Amino acid sequence: MKKLLLILFALLICACGTATTIPAWKDKAYMHLDDYKTSFLAGKEESTEPHFIKARREIAASNDLGLLTVAYLTKYALHTASLENFDSSDFAKLYKLEPNPSDMAYCHLLKGNFTAVDMKVLPDRYAGLLKSALARDLTMAAREIAAIDDPLSRLIACGVWVRYLPSDETILQIGISTASANGWRRPLWAYLNKLQEHYLETGDQNKAAATKARLDLLKRD
Amino acid sequence: MTMSREAKVGLFVGYTAILVVLALLYLAAGKGVFETMHTFTLSSKSGDSFTEGMPVVFSGFNIGKVQALELNDQGIVLIKIKIPDRHVKWIRSASTFILYRPLIGSASIVVNTPNLKSSPLDANKIKEVVIINDINDAIAKIEPVLDRLTEIANNVENLTYNLSDPKGDLNRVLGNAEKITTNLASKKSLVEMAVSDEESVKALNDSLKKLKDITTNVDRILVKVDTMADKTDNEIYGKDGALPQINTILKDLVRKLQKLDQTVDNINKISNDTSEGMKDFHILRSDIDDVVNSLGKVVKKLDAIMGSKKAPEFKVP
Repeated sequence: MKKLLLILFALLICACGTATTIPAWKDKAYMHLDDYKTSFLAGKEESTEPHFIKARREIAASNDLGLLTVAYLTKYALHTASLENFDSSDFAKLYKLEPNPSDMAYCHLLKGNFTAVDMKVLPDRYAGLLKSALARDLTMAAREIAAIDDPLSRLIACGVWVRYLPSDETILQIGISTASANGWRRPLWAYLNKLQEHYLETGDQNKAAATKARLDLLKRD
Repeated sequence: MTMSREAKVGLFVGYTAILVVLALLYLAAGKGVFETMHTFTLSSKSGDSFTEGMPVVFSGFNIGKVQALELNDQGIVLIKIKIPDRHVKWIRSASTFILYRPLIGSASIVVNTPNLKSSPLDANKIKEVVIINDINDAIAKIEPVLDRLTEIANNVENLTYNLSDPKGDLNRVLGNAEKITTNLASKKSLVEMAVSDEESVKALNDSLKKLKDITTNVDRILVKVDTMADKTDNEIYGKDGALPQINTILKDLVRKLQKLDQTVDNINKISNDTSEGMKDFHILRSDIDDVVNSLGKVVKKLDAIMGSKKAPEFKVP
């Protein structure tokens, strides 16, 4: 009786499975893009770009420019999260061939063109950030950024604020805590560096020195 | 007188019978039935090719035949020939008997009597038959000819091989002859032919022409140098002269070059090792690809079995 129940349970689990198969390119592209994100944030310089190239190659094989745009925007978002510049020429070419307002809104946000962002098509999680950025309200921004559930999105929001708006210790600390909680070395070092600059700007030499010492210690192999 | 019918028939039958007998007797006499026959015995070590009824030939004519073949106690074959009386004159004591086996045709015993005036052959005397075998003789004669022919064929083969070989003597000779004739045709000098370089010969000729001028100039220079040498000797060979300094510089340079030589050797070795290692890189890459593909297939099959994998959703972070 016990065996019969087990067999029935196994059959039930199998019956729940979908019969549709995922295309290999899609699976591989998703996997490579995910690896790219992980490698980028972990600061593995050598292996980062090959993952993106592989992801791009797989997506290109499907002729889906929408997905290719998502891949490039992901790349730009990661650079923003790590407080780095990016070249959006590839996105511009793709947008010209296949325009999508939501992609353009996202790109405007990453580039700090807050007034050009169409809030209706922007992902909901960044709505609070956009509002506070337009209002240049630091308190609201810190609250809205901290409220973002997804750590990467939170870090991107921090990056957008830190790069294009007056720096604030609270937002920088959110970025540091998010990066350190997830072991993302590349953004962590960038935020610590930015925090040190912030302390130097505000004249807090001791904190600046302590931050630099911490950063040097972390960077040492 | 009248004869009765029975008497007439009896007379006819009697005459007919007499005629038949006479005819038979005539034929038998013609065939030599009543002729005296002489028998001679010949011997041979082998009975091969002897048959009963075999003809005995003298000067191309049949003069008798073999009557019987026997084997005596010594293992010698005895051949008894029967010669009619009219032909017995050809059989003399000087006669020789030859078993002739032609290449084509049947065998026969040939009687050869060089001296017909010799005494008649004694019937009790046993003469040995000499065997002439055309086939064996022909083979024996042909064998050396065949050997020679094989040698000739081998030589011809060697010759043709040497002639056809592109690196063979003949082709080399022809190639050299072609080069020589080409050189002769282009009217080159012997020096040019020797060094095979027209430019070199021209340069040599020019050099020879200029040599005289150069020697004259050198003589003049030497005279000047002699006068200068006295002055410069001290500057060059002195304790602080140029040569001792150059010597030390050269020694230092040699030491450094030796070190550099080792470095270059090491670099060569490293580059060789690297190039050796690089040869296997594409194979290694292929192997890695195979492993990755296999793992991917396994994962895909597992996903298909489990059916739990959702389609990936691409969205900006």
